[in-house]
Amino acid sequence: MAKIKKRGIFFTFISLTIMAILILVYTPQADITIQKDSKAERSRIDSINNYINDLENGFMIIVMKATAQKTLASLSFYVNKTQSPVKDFDAAFAEVMLNGTINNVAIDSITGKKIMENSTLSNWTARFIEAGWDTYNVNTSIALGGVTANQTTPWDIDLGLKMSLDVKSNLAEWKRDDLTLRTSISIEDFYDPLYLMNARGIYPSKIKISDVEFNQWNITITREHLKNGTYVHWQDSGGPSFIMRFSNTTTNSSCCGIESLVNPNLISPSDQAGSYVDYLFWNQTYISKCTQLYNVTNPAAGNIGLWDEFRFFKLDIDHITKYNITSEYAIRSC
Amino acid sequence: MIHKKRGYFFVLDAALGIFVLAIGAFMIASLYISFPEPSQVSLLSDDFLNFLSNTQIKELNNPYGGIGGQLWKNGSITNKDNSLLQQIGEFYSKGQYDLAEKFIQNVSANTVPSQFNYELWMDNLILYPRNPDSGEIASKSKTDLMLTSKKITFGVANTTNSSLWGPYKAEGFVWQK
Repeated sequence: MAKIKKRGIFFTFISLTIMAILILVYTPQADITIQKDSKAERSRIDSINNYINDLENGFMIIVMKATAQKTLASLSFYVNKTQSPVKDFDAAFAEVMLNGTINNVAIDSITGKKIMENSTLSNWTARFIEAGWDTYNVNTSIALGGVTANQTTPWDIDLGLKMSLDVKSNLAEWKRDDLTLRTSISIEDFYDPLYLMNARGIYPSKIKISDVEFNQWNITITREHLKNGTYVHWQDSGGPSFIMRFSNTTTNSSCCGIESLVNPNLISPSDQAGSYVDYLFWNQTYISKCTQLYNVTNPAAGNIGLWDEFRFFKLDIDHITKYNITSEYAIRSC
Repeated sequence: MIHKKRGYFFVLDAALGIFVLAIGAFMIASLYISFPEPSQVSLLSDDFLNFLSNTQIKELNNPYGGIGGQLWKNGSITNKDNSLLQQIGEFYSKGQYDLAEKFIQNVSANTVPSQFNYELWMDNLILYPRNPDSGEIASKSKTDLMLTSKKITFGVANTTNSSLWGPYKAEGFVWQK
């Protein structure tokens, strides 16, 4: 009897051991594992990576373009209102674009137009920082550095923005130092500051690009060019670039100089001694050089030229050649 | 001889007990493996929002929201370079919520499998569906697994005066019916 009892205990222990193993194997596990944690973290990191890419390549680029356009419009109105040039264009552009001020005064208060209010680069980055927190629970810091605007082509302004980016989440931190973002905007449809300043605001002229090729000019096309107020860029131009016009600079920009023709019907007096090419007209290069000027008309040859519509319109010899005005339509002014 | 017979009895008893317990353990465990794979739903909610943010109007072949479609012809859509999400954001910024709802309905048809429900919110306002039916509300409250994806969207409101809209938080919810 004693032997039988001992064997029963032995078998009971075996069955308990096997049961314990089976229970351990089949017990349902909680739905949280290291693998699942890492999947969730990877997904979150991917989301934040996308957010940073959007910030760098989407949002900041669009904001740069939009605020630069508003800045140029504001500076044009500033020139028109104050009737004075922008002394240091680079500094003024950066200050208006970043803070909406010029010489520490809100530019909107000078121009009387609400253009930069809540629309500066600083305003927009603050909004994006807030959206980053609301959407991804991340702390975003954006340190804006210098803003630059320059021209390497006649019809576009190249923009540059230096910035540093720091994004902190509960998982990781992203740091991007000394980033330089670049984009460009067209100058088309902006007011020409040279006209605003020199015509005292009574003759505003918007930049419209002429599509005439350099070898296609003639008297008929020149008439349309003058009538429409379009702008042209000549190779090795003698005119100033769009940016130079803000500071009333009329020296040449060989890469980016542009010019239009001044309509004598829109100025007073219409008959002025000078070439009616805008920068030459406003800086009065030919005021006492009438021997180098040509009236674009020639009644003696039986041609009225452009004077039927644009009486007193004159050009210097260089531009008579460029616009391909033949001698039958031009006579020397004196 | 008597001793040997008793040994068999204990072995059979233990084996039977283990078998019954193993069956029970297996049945309990099987209750926990009938849920849908979370990663599948997560992928769906990410894919849904990625589809909206990575597809441009000009890439969309849709008689309602694509180029040459109804909204293009009546001038409701003007920028072919907008992503679908940006277009939704633009409608939202103009207060055109019903238009946004119809647009989402058209462009997202067949992007989410029919056994799933989905919603799209913009800055905490539901745009699709604007008025969820009772069945959808019930399935949302009863679902064991609902996942969300978020993105920021923004865009140009007016190219003439360079005004912008946004940034808005776009949020997609996907859950099993």
